[in-house]
Amino acid sequence: MSGRKAARLLVGLSAAIAVLGMAATAEAQEKKIKIGVIYDLTGPLAGGGSELQYIGAKIMLDQYAKTGVEGYKVEAVYADAQSKPDVAINEAVRLIEQEKVNMLLGFFSSAQCVPVAARVEQLKNFMWITTCISSAVLADKNFKYVFRPQASGDQFGLMTMDFIAQNSKAKLGKEPKDLRVAIIHEDGAYGVDVSKGNEAGAKKAGFNIVLKEGYSATAPDLSSLVTKLKRARPDVIFHTGYNPDITLFGRQAREQGLKFQALVGHGAGYGVYEKLKEGLGGDVNYVFNADPISIWLANQKSMDPKLPAVIKMVGEEFDKAKPGVAIRSAHVGMAASNTYVFLTEVLPRAIKKYGGVDPEALRKAALEVDLPEGGTMLGFGVKFHGEGSQMAGQNERSFPVVIQYIDDKSYVVWPKSQAQREAVLPLPKGTTFSNQ
Amino acid sequence: MQAFLDTFDIFLLEAIVNGILLGGVLALLALGLNLIFGVIDVTWICYAELVMIGMYGMYYMVQVFGLPYWVAAPFAILLVAALGAALHYIVIAPLLTAPPINQLLATGGVLFILQSFATVAFGIDFRNLGIRLPVLAIGEMHFSYSRLLAFAAALIGMLAIYFFMKRTYTGTAIRAVAQDRQIMSLMGVDTKRIYLITSALGGALAGLAACLLVLQYDVHPFVGLSFGPITFLICVLGGLGNFVGGFIAAFVFAQIISLGGLYSDLEWGYVLAFAFFIVMMFIRPAGLFARRS
Repeated sequence: MSGRKAARLLVGLSAAIAVLGMAATAEAQEKKIKIGVIYDLTGPLAGGGSELQYIGAKIMLDQYAKTGVEGYKVEAVYADAQSKPDVAINEAVRLIEQEKVNMLLGFFSSAQCVPVAARVEQLKNFMWITTCISSAVLADKNFKYVFRPQASGDQFGLMTMDFIAQNSKAKLGKEPKDLRVAIIHEDGAYGVDVSKGNEAGAKKAGFNIVLKEGYSATAPDLSSLVTKLKRARPDVIFHTGYNPDITLFGRQAREQGLKFQALVGHGAGYGVYEKLKEGLGGDVNYVFNADPISIWLANQKSMDPKLPAVIKMVGEEFDKAKPGVAIRSAHVGMAASNTYVFLTEVLPRAIKKYGGVDPEALRKAALEVDLPEGGTMLGFGVKFHGEGSQMAGQNERSFPVVIQYIDDKSYVVWPKSQAQREAVLPLPKGTTFSNQ
Repeated sequence: MQAFLDTFDIFLLEAIVNGILLGGVLALLALGLNLIFGVIDVTWICYAELVMIGMYGMYYMVQVFGLPYWVAAPFAILLVAALGAALHYIVIAPLLTAPPINQLLATGGVLFILQSFATVAFGIDFRNLGIRLPVLAIGEMHFSYSRLLAFAAALIGMLAIYFFMKRTYTGTAIRAVAQDRQIMSLMGVDTKRIYLITSALGGALAGLAACLLVLQYDVHPFVGLSFGPITFLICVLGGLGNFVGGFIAAFVFAQIISLGGLYSDLEWGYVLAFAFFIVMMFIRPAGLFARRS
């Protein structure tokens, strides 16, 4: 009997050890960060640039899913915001509460970012914004868990005004006070925010603002706006829009004979060259656009030496996903770069220094990121405004650049430190919109 | 005062003419929806999505298969006409005696099906026909031929429907069924056939609208969102089922949008148009041109 008892005890112990061992293995396997990724994969915003952002983020997340970070698996859970703010909020909450993600990443539309950021902060989860630019997301909110490496909307508006102000006399032959400018924008959080930057920049430069007006991005007709622009006779039009409102405006402007010296866009729809070309044909030539610099145009010589190889990899993966694209959109690199900063700067620090991937560890790690200019694929550095600051969570070192589309190529034309060529300003004689 | 008087310039005239041309686009959209409601007494919430499918049809025939625009257009009209007939046969016919809310929900469901189908089948990219029609310039005023075409098509479509309804045997049968569907079936009229013809005709008008809209707008799965609600409001404003009412309401609505947008913010043009709609619903709930009972 004692032999049987001893045998039973042995079997029991073995089973217990096996169970404990399996549990330990499971524990080791559970070492992962689950990232909820939200972009618009359907609806009007998808084609307006959100899908390209999704591709950029996915390329980077797929790379790190293969290798992991500091022993942690990287698992992405994707959700479609369907171009609707309410869906974006519901998906964010679903990912946090049901999918139990450790953090959220992505967000194309500012109209989604503003409410989602507030909700995520309320739930004390971590949010890493790759794209949306409205200042309203962070201004005076003092969020603890929301971070944005991307430049903010008012910076876009100020940058383009500064660009025109510095070229007003030399290229357009007018003192800034004599330059007539019009500011038109879609009336969501994104357009309104950029237009505020435009207005502030115009006042600073002393421009004569002859028209400032918002419109719904889904408006079926913009002919009244074009008529008003014809009446106001602006030299330069500053436009912020998604798509297809940009192509609708361009088409109706052509049909109604609107003339000006320059058209300056601000990201979103203006960042998707293929669609602009398809909708506007040759009229897209010489259009300006403010955006974070495309990673394929950024000056690689002044960049962290490990980054050019990453840029090459992103380009190759993008070409596989979307073969035959004439100009690789800045949208792709924007999401890829901002995701890369999280995976290489925030996540390893959170794991090593703060012991995990909970929101508190990620927050502390994010606040310690200190990349100098040239430290990212987008050329700028990263250092977040800390708690108590008016723009807590915003990258204080980010900046957009002004590019110009010329003969199916895009060139950085402003600021001078990044410029690849002189801007073609005003529109050459004989072009559709030229008033010369 | 002088500033106000200064606004009576050539641009005001341009805005008025553009309002009329926009009215043509909206009238064209309202025509088919009104026809269907007038006869079958069912509102196709998914009407603008049928237009979207027609626009895709045009895009693929012209851009992908290389057909000339004028050859592709009749095929697109036939395609949407067939779709309209299929919609009636599959979705509406089984619900003819159901409460109106069920019919509305069913066509609302078709709206989402068509949007999702287009997303899966055609992708989310904006497609453009790539045809740039010339512009008619009169002094400082410029008008788009694509809009002039839509306006002319709306006018011809309206007259064609009017004469079809008044002068043909089938048209007379359609009008008779619209007046009293029970009595007409008792008198031996094949109401099922009439409904099917009307649905195909409504679909054909959506197809015609698609052929003209695709010259002015990019096509994407959600293009219907820009037109669907406004078309529905115009039909209600003109009196659901009243062709002439819908036609005139489209021009009234477009003029308010155009002139409101010129004198104030563009958004205010829409606010004024919708406010006008609400006020009219109080004053004339059955529509601007409904007969007083």
